[in-house]
Amino acid sequence: MRALLDGLKKVSSSPLVDKPCVHCGLATPSYEETPENEVFCCRGCQGVYELIHGWGLQSYYDLRDRCVGELKMPTQTQSFEDFDTADFFDQANVQRNEDGSLSCRLAIIGLHCAACAWLIENVAARTKGWSWAQVKLSNHTLDIRFDDEKIRLSEIAQVLHQLGYELAPMGVDMDAGFQRQNRKLLIQIAIAGFCATNSMWLAIALYAGEASGIEAAHQSLLRGFGVALGVVAVTVPGRTFLLGALAALRNKTPHMDLPIAMGLLVGTIAGVVSLILGQGDVYFDSLAVLVFLLLIGRWIQFRQQHRAAKAIDLLLRMTPRYASLIEADEIVIRVLTDRLIVGDTIRVLPGQSSPADGEVVRGNSLIDRALLTGESEPVRLKIGDSIEAGVVNIESQLDIRVSAIGRESRIGQVLQAVEAASADRTPLVQLADRIGGVFVCIVTVLGCVAFCIWLPNGWQVAVGVATSLLIVACPCALALATPLAIAVSLGKSAKRRIFVRDGDSLTKLAKRGIVYFDKTGTLTAGRPSADFRFGDRVSLKLAAALESQVRHPIASAIIRLAQEEGISIDAYQVTVENVIGGVSGWVDDHQVLIGNADLLKQEEVNLPKVFAEAARYAISGGCTPIYVVVNGKVQSLLGISDRLKSDAIQTVKQLKNMGWEVGILSGDHPSIVTQIAKLIGAPQRNCVGNLTPEQKLDQIRCYKSGTVVMVGDGVNDAAALAAADVGIAVQGGAEVSLRAAPVFIAGDRLSSITALFCAARSSMTLIYTTFAVSLMYNLLAVGLALFGMITPLVAAILMPISSITVVSLALLWPIYRKDSI
Amino acid sequence: MSVLYIALPIALLLGAAGMFACVQCIRSGQYEDLDAPSIRILIEDQPSDKLKK
Repeated sequence: MRALLDGLKKVSSSPLVDKPCVHCGLATPSYEETPENEVFCCRGCQGVYELIHGWGLQSYYDLRDRCVGELKMPTQTQSFEDFDTADFFDQANVQRNEDGSLSCRLAIIGLHCAACAWLIENVAARTKGWSWAQVKLSNHTLDIRFDDEKIRLSEIAQVLHQLGYELAPMGVDMDAGFQRQNRKLLIQIAIAGFCATNSMWLAIALYAGEASGIEAAHQSLLRGFGVALGVVAVTVPGRTFLLGALAALRNKTPHMDLPIAMGLLVGTIAGVVSLILGQGDVYFDSLAVLVFLLLIGRWIQFRQQHRAAKAIDLLLRMTPRYASLIEADEIVIRVLTDRLIVGDTIRVLPGQSSPADGEVVRGNSLIDRALLTGESEPVRLKIGDSIEAGVVNIESQLDIRVSAIGRESRIGQVLQAVEAASADRTPLVQLADRIGGVFVCIVTVLGCVAFCIWLPNGWQVAVGVATSLLIVACPCALALATPLAIAVSLGKSAKRRIFVRDGDSLTKLAKRGIVYFDKTGTLTAGRPSADFRFGDRVSLKLAAALESQVRHPIASAIIRLAQEEGISIDAYQVTVENVIGGVSGWVDDHQVLIGNADLLKQEEVNLPKVFAEAARYAISGGCTPIYVVVNGKVQSLLGISDRLKSDAIQTVKQLKNMGWEVGILSGDHPSIVTQIAKLIGAPQRNCVGNLTPEQKLDQIRCYKSGTVVMVGDGVNDAAALAAADVGIAVQGGAEVSLRAAPVFIAGDRLSSITALFCAARSSMTLIYTTFAVSLMYNLLAVGLALFGMITPLVAAILMPISSITVVSLALLWPIYRKDSI
Repeated sequence: MSVLYIALPIALLLGAAGMFACVQCIRSGQYEDLDAPSIRILIEDQPSDKLKK
C-alpha cells in the first residue's frame, strides 16, 4: 500500500515537461512518463488521430514528418449544407459524367505537403460513393468524382473538415490566366523542341556530307527541310521574341528581345535566300536550338514569378465564400460572397470570418486580425468601427454594412500589390535589358565594319561575313543569364521556406552592413512565462481570474503560473474594462489593475519601496516586472521573461563572422535588452531598448554605412521593416509581412537568416559569373566572325554551348550549402 | 540513297506525331502539377481490402 502511495506521489509530483502533441505538434505540458504517442493538446487532435488510425492510414504521420510543414488546426465549426445547393454547383462548375457520377474541381485550403495529398486521396478511396480524388499540390486544388445518390458533397466537405481541410469553390479565373500562359509556353517549348532536335540531325547529315561528299540533290533536299524547320521555329514559337522586339521598338525602350530578334530574323532571311539561290550558308539548326533554349529560360522565370502571387491567392481563398445577407425584413439568407454589393448588410456569427470589408452597424465583439496583421491580441469592435475581409469574429454576432468585396477589399488589394511587385523587373534584369539595347547598336556597327573590311573580296563574301556576325552576336546566353540566376535563387529559397519577393533584395543582402533584430518573438520564443513572483497569493488569484478573460501571451503566462501554484480561478464574477497597455477590471468587488510601471504612473498608483526593490531584482534577472494592483494598492509583482530561441546565439555569431554588425531594437526595458545583448554577444552600442515604432524607424534611417537589415515580426515592426533596405519578417500575418518586408521566413528558424545571407552572396557571384561567361562567348564569336572564321558548323556548336553553360551554371550553382538548414 | 526521299518525311512525321502527343498532354493539364507526382511514387500502395472496415 505504501509503495502504491509512493508511486502515486511520484507521478503527480514529477515535473511537467513540454512534449509535442502527436497530431499537431503543439508543445503540450505533460508528465515525463506519458508515452510520446499519447500526448494530445486537445480533444480535437485526439479525434483526428483516432479517425486516421481507424482508417488504417497511419503512414500519414511518417510521411508528414518527412516533409516538414506548419500545421494549423481548424478553428471554426460550420455546417456544409450549402454545398448541396444549385448555387454552389453553379459556382464550382459541377459536371455530370456519362456514368451518372458528378465531378468537379474545388479549391482546398490547408494543404501542407505530399502527406496531405496522400491522406485525402486515400480517404476518398475508403469513403462510399466518393470514387476518386486527386490533389494538385502546386495549385491547391482537388479534383473529385462522386456518386450523388450515395454521398452528398456536403458530406465530403464534412469529412475533409474533420481532417482539417476546407473546401471552397474555385474562384472565377483565379488561376486561369496563369494556366493559359503556362500551357501556351509549354506548347511553344514542345514545338521549338521538335524543330530543334530534327533540324539538328538534318544539320549533322549536311556537315557529314560536306566532309565526305554528298549528291547535290540530297543536299538541297536536306537544306530544304532544314530551312523549313528553322522558319517554323522562328515564326511559331519564336514569335514571342519578334513581338517583344516590336514592342520594344514601339516604346523606344531597350530590351533583350531586340538583339535576339535581330539575330533570328537575319538568320532566317539569309537561310531562305541561300536556299533559293542554291548557295551560301544556312543557320537553321542554330536558330531552332536558340529559340528552344530561350523559351525554356522564359518558362522557368515565369513559374518563379507566380510563386509569390500564388501564396497570396490562397489567402484570398481563405475569406469565406458565403455571406449571411440580412434582407429588408430581417430575414437572413445565405448568398455567395461574390453576389454581395456595396451597401448590403451581412451578419457574421462568432467563430466565422468576415467575407467582406465593412462597417459595424450592430453588435459589439472581439475580433482576431491575425490573418491580416499578425496581431495575436484580439481587438474590440463597436458600432461604427471598420472590419476587414478575413478577420475572425470571436465573441458575439456582428452586423456589417459592406463597403468592399473581393479584389476591392484590403486583402484583395494586398494580392494586387504583390502581383505588381512580382511583375516588376529587378534592377539587375533591367541592367541586362539595357545591355541588350547597347548590344544592338554595337552589333549593327560591327556588322557594317565587317562588311566594309571584306568588301574587297567581293560583295557576296562580305554579306556572308556580316550575316554570320549578326547571327552569332545574338546575346541569347546573356538574355538567359540574369533572370535564370535570380529565378533559381528564389526557387531554391522557397524550397527552404524562405520567400523572397524580388531579386533586388538578394543584391542588397550580398553586401555588408548591419542587422537589427527585434527582440520579442524574433530573438526570443515570444511565449513569455512568469518566472518570478513577489507578493501574496490572493492577488495572484485575482490577477489570474481577470486575465482568464483576456487573450494575450502575458495573460496566459499569468494563468499558467496560477495553475502551477495550484490556484483555482473559477469562482469569480469578472468584468474586464480596459485592455490597452494593461488590463483593468472588477473581480467580484475588487478593482484589479495589471500592468507595467508606465501604467501605474498613468493611473497614479504609488509604488512601494519593497516593490521597486523587487522590480530592480527582476530586471537584473532579465525579467519584465508586471504589477498587480488591487483596490489601488500594489499587491504583487510578477517577473515575466521570454526565453532566447535555441539558435539565436549561433545565428548572431555566424552573422558576425560574415562581417555584419548586429544590433537589437526593442520596445522592452533597456536593461533587459542589455541582458539579451550580452547573451547573444551583440555590441551594446547597437542595442537599444525602450523604443517606440517611430524611434525604431529613426534608428534605422540614421545608419548610413551599408545595408540595413531589419529582422522582426509583422506587427510592431512593420514600419521598421519597410524602412530598412531589406526587411525580413520572421513571423506574423501575411499582409504586413509581404507588404512591408520583401523577405518572409516561415518556420520560425533563425538559422534560415544566415542561410539566406550566404545564399544572397553566392547568387550574386553566380549572376556575375554567368554575365561574364555569356559576354565572353559573344566576344569570342564576334571576333571569329570578323575574321571570317564563322561557318554554320562553328555557329551551331558555339551558340548552344554558351546557353547551355549558362543554364548548367545556374542550375548546379550551390546557392545553399548542403548542410545549411 | 533515294530512300532518303521517303525516310526523311516519315521521320519528320513520326517526330511531329510525338510533338502533337506532347501538346495534347499539355492541353489536358498533365504538366500543371509538377510537385505531387514526384512524391506520390514513393507511397506504397496498400491492400485496401485488409483495411476496409
